[in-house]
Parts: sequence; C-alpha cells; structure tokens
Amino acid sequence: MAAIKAVNSKAEVARARAALAVNICAARGLQDVLRTNLGPKGTMKMLVSGAGDIKLTKDGNVLLDEMGLHPRIIAEGFEAAKIKALEVLEEVKVTKEMKRKILLDVARTSLQTKVHAELADVLTEVVVDSVLAVRRPGYPIDLFMVEIMEMKHKLGTDTKEVNSGFFYKTAEEKEKLVKAERKFIEDRVQKIIDLKDKVCAQSNKGFVVINQKGIDPFSLDSLAKHGIVALRRAKRRNMERLSLACGGMAVNSFEDLTVDCLGHAGLVYEYTLGEEKFTFIEECVNPCSVTLLVKGPNKHTLTQVKDAIRDGLRAIKNAIEDGCMVPGAGAIEVAMAEALVTYKNSIKGRARLGVQAFADALLIIPKVLAQNAGYDPQETLVKVQAEHVESKQLVGVDLNTGEPMVAADAGVWDNYCVKKQLLHSCTVIATNILLVDEIMRAGMSSLK
Amino acid sequence: MAGGAREVLTLQLGHFAGFVGAHWWNQQDAALGRATDSKEPPGELCPDVLYRTGRTLHGQETYTPRLILMDLKGSLSSLKEEGGLYRDKQLDAAIAWQGKLTTHKEELYPKNPYLQDFLSAEGVLSSDGVWRVKSIPNGKGSSPLPTATTPKPLIPTEASIRVWSDFLRVHLHPRSICMIQKYNHDGEAGRLEAFGQGESVLKEPKYQEELEDRLHFYVEECDYLQGFQILCDLHDGFSGEAQRNIYRLLNTAFGLVHLTAHSSLVCPLSLGGSLGLRPEPPVSFPYLHYDATLPFHCSAILATALDTVTVPYRLCSSPVSMVHLADMLSFCGKKVVTAGAIIPFPLAPGQSLPDSLMQFGGATPWTPLSACGEPSGTRCFAQSVVLRGIDRACHTSQLTPGTPPPSALHACTTGEEILAQYLQQQQPGVMSSSHLLLTPCRVAPPYPHLFSSCSPPGMVLDGSPKGAAVESIPVFGALCSSSSLHQTLEALARDLTKLDLRRWASFMDAGVEHDDVAELLQELQSLAQCYQGGDSLVD
Repeated sequence: MAAIKAVNSKAEVARARAALAVNICAARGLQDVLRTNLGPKGTMKMLVSGAGDIKLTKDGNVLLDEMGLHPRIIAEGFEAAKIKALEVLEEVKVTKEMKRKILLDVARTSLQTKVHAELADVLTEVVVDSVLAVRRPGYPIDLFMVEIMEMKHKLGTDTKEVNSGFFYKTAEEKEKLVKAERKFIEDRVQKIIDLKDKVCAQSNKGFVVINQKGIDPFSLDSLAKHGIVALRRAKRRNMERLSLACGGMAVNSFEDLTVDCLGHAGLVYEYTLGEEKFTFIEECVNPCSVTLLVKGPNKHTLTQVKDAIRDGLRAIKNAIEDGCMVPGAGAIEVAMAEALVTYKNSIKGRARLGVQAFADALLIIPKVLAQNAGYDPQETLVKVQAEHVESKQLVGVDLNTGEPMVAADAGVWDNYCVKKQLLHSCTVIATNILLVDEIMRAGMSSLK
Repeated sequence: MAGGAREVLTLQLGHFAGFVGAHWWNQQDAALGRATDSKEPPGELCPDVLYRTGRTLHGQETYTPRLILMDLKGSLSSLKEEGGLYRDKQLDAAIAWQGKLTTHKEELYPKNPYLQDFLSAEGVLSSDGVWRVKSIPNGKGSSPLPTATTPKPLIPTEASIRVWSDFLRVHLHPRSICMIQKYNHDGEAGRLEAFGQGESVLKEPKYQEELEDRLHFYVEECDYLQGFQILCDLHDGFSGEAQRNIYRLLNTAFGLVHLTAHSSLVCPLSLGGSLGLRPEPPVSFPYLHYDATLPFHCSAILATALDTVTVPYRLCSSPVSMVHLADMLSFCGKKVVTAGAIIPFPLAPGQSLPDSLMQFGGATPWTPLSACGEPSGTRCFAQSVVLRGIDRACHTSQLTPGTPPPSALHACTTGEEILAQYLQQQQPGVMSSSHLLLTPCRVAPPYPHLFSSCSPPGMVLDGSPKGAAVESIPVFGALCSSSSLHQTLEALARDLTKLDLRRWASFMDAGVEHDDVAELLQELQSLAQCYQGGDSLVD
C-alpha cells in the first residue's frame, strides 16, 4: 500500500482501475492460450525448455505451471526497462527556448484532443498568450492568475443592459432606514466620495470601488449618486489579480485610502445576462492577470471547454518550466521500444521477459493512435518502426494519412515532465500489482 | 439594522441533511402557498430570508431557496442536477465536437411518479424545449394554490422513498446542487465513510472552486446577509454492526469538534438515544408515533423542530439576528447547544395556554433532540424558546372575573408574558428568550402521517375532522445551552480513549493522523469543561 501511496494520491484510483485492467488482460492472455486446447481438434502445445527439454501437453494446469513466471523477476525486468527508457527520454528531449511559436504547437497538440479543430485553433492562441501574460520572472507560473469565467449564452439573445443604479427593491425599504444608524457608514462612504472628487475633478474619469465584503444598498445608492461604481463580495483571488492588472493595492481600512493605492483601467462596464451580472474591466495598464470568458449554450459544453483550456494551460506551463519537450504522435514510444529490444539482449535470465513486456506495452501508444484514426495498428506500426530505423529520426503516426511522420516537423509535442512521471508511476503500479499476494479491494470497504 | 430582509444562505451537506432539507423546504413552500389565504395570520415569518428571486434566460421570474447542497453520486435518482426551472432542451443538445461520438447511457432511474406529477402540475415543457411555469396567481411562491381543476397531488408511499428527491416539492435553482463524483451514494465500494475522506474532498481545488463560485453567486446579491445555516451529516446512517458504531463515534467526535471551531453555534440533531458508542433506544414522543428506522420519518420530525427553533432570525418584525442568537446562547465558549421540542404541543379543546403549561408540572416538557440524554436534572445556562401555532384566543386563560387564578401563569395578560413567566419558573435566573407565533408548522403531505393515531383524546389539532390528515400543528421548540453536554462530551471522550486505534487503521488512512486524535480528545475535554458546574449545584 505504502509504495502505491508514495506515487501520488491519484494512484488510489489508478490502482483500482489498473488492477482491473491487468486482471482482464491476464485473463484474456491465458484464455488465448488455453482456448485452443479444447477438444480433439484443439492444438497440442509443445513446450521447449532452455536446455532443450521437450514436453507435449494440453493440460491446463501443466501449461499454467510451465508458462508461468515468477512475478518478482518480471518486476526486476520492468525496473531495468524503466531506467533504460528514462535514458532514452533524456536523449531525445528537445531543449529549446520556449518561444511563442513552439508553445502554440504544444498547446494545439493538447487542445485538439479535447475540442473540435476549429475551436482548438481559437483556444490555442488564447491559451498561450494567457500564460505568457501572467508569467512573472523569478516566480513559478501561477495558473490561478488565469481566471476562466463562463456565460451560458444563447447566441442571438445578447442583452446588453447597463446597471441603472436602482438598489432598493421597494420604496418602503428606503424609508425604513433610520438616519441615525447610518452615520458610521456614511462617514466611510464620504471618504470614498472625497477621494473620487479629488482624483477625478476636472476630468471625465470614472471611479470604481471593489470591496471584498458587503456593501449595503444605502451606501451603493450614495456612491452611485456621485458617479461611483461599487462592487461587493469580490473573491480574494480577484482582488489580487486586480492589483496586478490595474496597479494599485487593496487596503484594509478606510484610514489607508490614499491616492497612491489607486489603480487604473481604460474601461469598466457591466453586462447583465439573466440573473448574472458581469463586470468587465478592460484596457488595463499591466495585464499580469488574464480572464478568459467562455460562452456556450449549456453546462456540459462550458465544462468541456473549460477543462480543455485548463489542460492546455498546464501543458504550456510544463513546457516553459521544463525548458524542453518531446516529440509526440507516439514517436518516443517507438524509439524507446527499439532501444529496449536491443538492451534486452544484455539482460540475463527471465528478467529479459519483463523488458520485452515493457517494450510491448510502450508500443500500444502508437498502435492505438493509428487504430483510432481508422488504420490497421500492426501495419502502421511496422511502417513507423522501419522509418525510424532508417532515418534515425523520431517518427510517429500521421493521423490524417496513417503514414509515418517526423513529429517535431509536424509540430506535435508532448511534455517532458509528464512522460517522465508516467514512466515512473506506471512501473511502480504494475510492479505492485504483480507482487500483490492476495486480492485487495479498493477503498475502505475492504474492512467489511 | 433596519432595511430589507436579513438573508440567510442554507447549506445542506450529506444525504440525511438532504432528507431534513427536503421536508424543511416543503414546509416553507406550503407556508408560501398559504400567504394569500385570508384565514391565516399576516406574515409573521419573512420568506425572503430563505428564498431568492431570480429570472431565467427566457425572462421568467423564479423564487427559489437560497441553497447549496452537496451529496454523493447516485443520490439524486431521477432529479436532474440543474433542476427543471431553468431548462432549455434545444440549448442542451449542442456539443463542441465534430469527430466520432459514442454515447454511454447509465440505466435510467425509474421515473419517480411523484416528481413527474409535481413537475407537470407546476409547468409545461413547450414545443421549443423550454420549461415554463403555469401562471402564478400571487406573483410569489413557486407552488400555485390547488384549484378545483387541479388534481390532488400524489402522495408518495413510504416504501417508495429511497432518496430525498423522491418527495421534494420545491424547484431548486441550478446552482443549488453540487454532486461529489468521487464517492457513491450506495453500493458496496467507494463509499464516503470516514471524516478524513470528506475533509480531503473539500480540500480539492475542483470542489473548493465550485463551492466558492456558488457561494459568491448567492452572497453577492444579498444586501444584509445575516449568516449561514448549515445542515451537515455527522455520520452516515443509523448504527448497525459494531464497526459502523466505531465509525459513527469517530465521525461524530471529529465532526463536532471541527464544526465548533468554525461556527458560531452548533446543534446536534438526532432522534437517537446517545451520541456515544453504546446504542440507546431512540426517543419517543407522547403525541406522535414514528418509525425510527425510516429516515423519511426522522427527518420530518427534525425539520419541524428546526422550523420552530430557527424562527427568531426569520421574523418579519423585530427579528433576532443569527449573530445575536448565537451570542446569547454561546457565551464563554459554549458553542454547542441542545435542541428539544414538543411535537405537537398538546392543547385540548377549551384549554388555554396556562392550563397546558401547568399540566407539565415542574418537569422539562420537551423531548430531547440532540441525543444528549434526558434534560431533567440538568441545568440550563441560556435558552431560546419558540411556541407557534396557538390560537390567540387560547393564549390567556378565560377565567370569569373574580375567580382566583390557579397559578401565576393564569394571572398574566398576554401569551408572551405567560411563556416568559413559565420559563422563569422552570429555570430561575436563566437567560431566556421566548417567541410566540400564531403561524403553525405545516405538516401536510408529503409529510408522513405521524399524528392522528396518537392525539390525546378529544384533542383536535387544527379543526379538521378527527381521522382526517392533519395539515398543521402547534409546536414548542427550544435551543438550550445545557449542562447535559458536560456528560455527553466527556462520555464521547471516554469512549474514544478506550478505542484501540490501530484496529481502525482504515479510518486513519483516510487522512486522519494519530496526533489528530490526541488533539481531538483535548478539544472534547475542554469543551466539556465549559458546561460543568450545573448538576452538583444546589439551585
């Protein structure tokens, strides 16, 4: 358990799913061998040992015993294969200056899997520009500085209502307010009004107040009368982002309200869509923070697009922080598998089978890519492998033609850190599953 | 501060909380529907405290609970996560993918006939795929008054109720329901069973963001937010085998301590006999009969109690804000309070309030609802009491002038005075706040039938003929800062100390450390100390 937990928290889920998949695969594999035993027309199996000893049998038990291998030895093979694969990864990674052009390729590779091509193209530029905008030298990239907002929107029913400044629900409410209770808050509101008059006099500048806490209707009304737009209950993260985007800084008390803490933006306006009000703050001095507005007709589309954007942002962040990438389209898997097949010969004993199994597993990537695109997986793989050997370049599958292509030239890139992490975690999980002596049920229900 | 309604945001966390919530909102809804009925007293409770007005993208006005609820995958059955009010079928169909698409459909939940009947009574799915409400007579209120032509609504049979949406009669806003996909509501595997699991779910950025967005949506439009009322499952289900009891104990302890740290006031609500390890039989009520194994019944009773004790901060005039109520009850760190109620409040025909109160004698009249033991023999530090549903004519005794009053209560001139005087007699010197309301608690279907078989002879609850379904009842509810918590919390701590935590490694695996348990014990004991100094004193 501990080894699996050490990998990452998601291993719990991965372990459960992986265990099931492995069990299914193993069962299927065995079934393939044993299936052909059945009946007088079934196939006889001739087992030849390393020393040349021969045994003929159709007995399931004998087959299982003879063909079975000790899990620990296989696991050793996995470990050796992993180390070799990581070496290959280091050799093939492409270190480049992460300029916009290359980042567009990285983003596009990620996005095209998640949304249709046209939308992916639109999102590609947006996503790259967002990360570049929020990047601050000397700090790790904080993707929370890219806020994703959504608008559930039927195209063609665009309503652009401007806040009319009506803050009371009924006239009675207004009358209920007693002046004496208001004095304290009025004084604070007055401070804001004074500051506005000082700064905006003689100009047609607007003034906006954004509060992390609430603002009551009476104050909203007073401020509105003086041409001040007031927003309440802002998220803390947005307060930070606003300081970055507009300059200025948030203050905790009215005593600290001075001209120096003010920021600046070119345009502020409000947009109402049904029940929701969106305030747009545009033409900012220093856009170190970015908001992406996703418009879609329903919740599942919005979620799909948001998820795609988040994945794209992460892919770019990884690329920038790694300083390198690896060619995609299954290219490095082909290269690793080839290296492993050569390497296998230097391994003594049955651990060699573990290395072979690892190589076979890697090749699933290019095969499945081809299969999903409608091409024959085995044929395509053979072509790609041949091209790789001949050209010594990193060659993957072109999904439009089913032919080999140099992934880097086509602009298909994967993240280095992701591939590296996968090699580690997959090996650990597979090894743990092999070495489990009893069936363990996922989750807490194991104690029932 | 004067002004508009003091809004409250309700949070429901967990499935049993969902049951209590469903009854609660049904009750609020029933009260809304009655608002224009001339027989009813003018609005004593302000619905805007709990509800919000809104509008759909099609310009339709809506009035929905200001609610966020979290529950597990599979718990909604046939209720859609975004509800029905804001639906638009055409828009729902659009997708952002042009390549191959395969659809994997889960087995359709059997349509809940009750839900379908409710939806069709409320509105119509028009040809453009938009669900529109039928014309609302009074502008507010989401349930139109039943007219001669509207068929009587279906009443769900108790056996058919599996999840809370099976009997919820209220439309929820699309932002209300937040499902946790990680854990299953039912089945053998992947259950949410341990405190650490729940804690780590809420720490995930995905759920934090979801929760934050929804909170901001509701809170931003509030002008005078007074607070949050949170219904939270302390543990999953009722006690069964030994292992579940241990989990129940651990979850209760962790839950209580953590909730206390982050709230102004915490009140455990349960019809069980005890919070600790040793199971005690569930409480019984003199005038109602219920099945303690049915969440449908238990949650109904708790919802009624809640509908009563929360009255102070929902009043239209002179409300006591949540902050004030909490302050009053929780001074000196005593943030945990117990609840009790008399459901229904027994007022025989011809009786007056003083007569009824006198009949209780000196004993604490209410049934305890916090699984903290019987209230008798314990001392109360502060209490907030609400009595609702007594006719004004019965408030004071109708003695002929010249007759000597049988008790001090009979001499009082108003119902409020009588109630206050009674509380003084029961617990002299205790800070008591009391409220007397004319509006009764609604118990019309889908509220379960709990009353008619058990009413005291001759007692007619709301003027309806005997044997007919009861529509409303008077209820007495109390929130009490009580010394019984001293024993209860100490007992919890003792039970915990006796546990060999190495046996329950699975609970710990979910994210709780041994140090956490040690800390928990300390917190429990210091909390218990706050409530000391009650029973041994001679009053």
